[in-house]
Amino acid sequence: MQAAPNLIFSNTETIPGMTITQSLGVVTGSTVRAKNVFKDIGAAFKNIAGGEIKAYTELLQESRNEALFRMLNDAAARGANAVVNVRFATSSVAGGAAELLAYGTAVVAQ
Amino acid sequence: MAADGEPIIGLMIFAVACGCTVVPWLLSLVATFIYQPSKQKVLLERETQAAIKGDALSTLSKPFGDREIKQTKMLMASVVMSPSWVQMWIGGIMSLFGGQINVFTKVVDWARREAQQRLREKVAEEGYDEVINMRIETTMLTTTRGGKDKTSGVEILAYGTAIKY
Repeated sequence: MQAAPNLIFSNTETIPGMTITQSLGVVTGSTVRAKNVFKDIGAAFKNIAGGEIKAYTELLQESRNEALFRMLNDAAARGANAVVNVRFATSSVAGGAAELLAYGTAVVAQ
Repeated sequence: MAADGEPIIGLMIFAVACGCTVVPWLLSLVATFIYQPSKQKVLLERETQAAIKGDALSTLSKPFGDREIKQTKMLMASVVMSPSWVQMWIGGIMSLFGGQINVFTKVVDWARREAQQRLREKVAEEGYDEVINMRIETTMLTTTRGGKDKTSGVEILAYGTAIKY
């Protein structure tokens, strides 16, 4: 993974303290991830007791960062310096894999 | 003749069978009524400590007041929680009758509070004052076992824009 482009992103409609001068359209980033078999077995045991399953929490966090990173790269490629109204969507694909999607509007802000 | 060997082998098979079926359920029972409440108690303490300074989270799209905002950053916190076997079993029986299914409500509520509390702690850790436009998202995670999709947990994500005055 390369270093993330230095963009401001926010899930509000404007970036507080900045004015948006130009909208560059919707940018998206997504990734589909599955955990490995060993973590799956560990999680199955943790399922007996209930409560937090750390392996899955970490996996989803990692993949969400990856999706966000791809979205920011997309925005940087369009010449934006900020992304506003960022939203997340997660769906569980069959076979224990999850798709994580991050999307937002790329803008030029000053 | 293996007459005196058979009872021992039979006993061993019985013990293994018991170990594979009864022990996980006993563990699950202990976890549901002792381990989970103790974790929830710790969470309540963290929440109480954070509440002294006033809640940093809000769902407003703009902060109150006209104070100048120096810096913003999007922060997120998530947690994956799963109900225990005992809770799944009780929930399965309760869903026959319909109405509120208490055991699942409890787990999801716990997960939501945990995610929000983590976001609060993250905000304080990174030195921001407040979070605006907080959103909570819920996803079911499933695993495929024997060609059937089974619920293995619920993921709660809390995210928002942190601001610094």
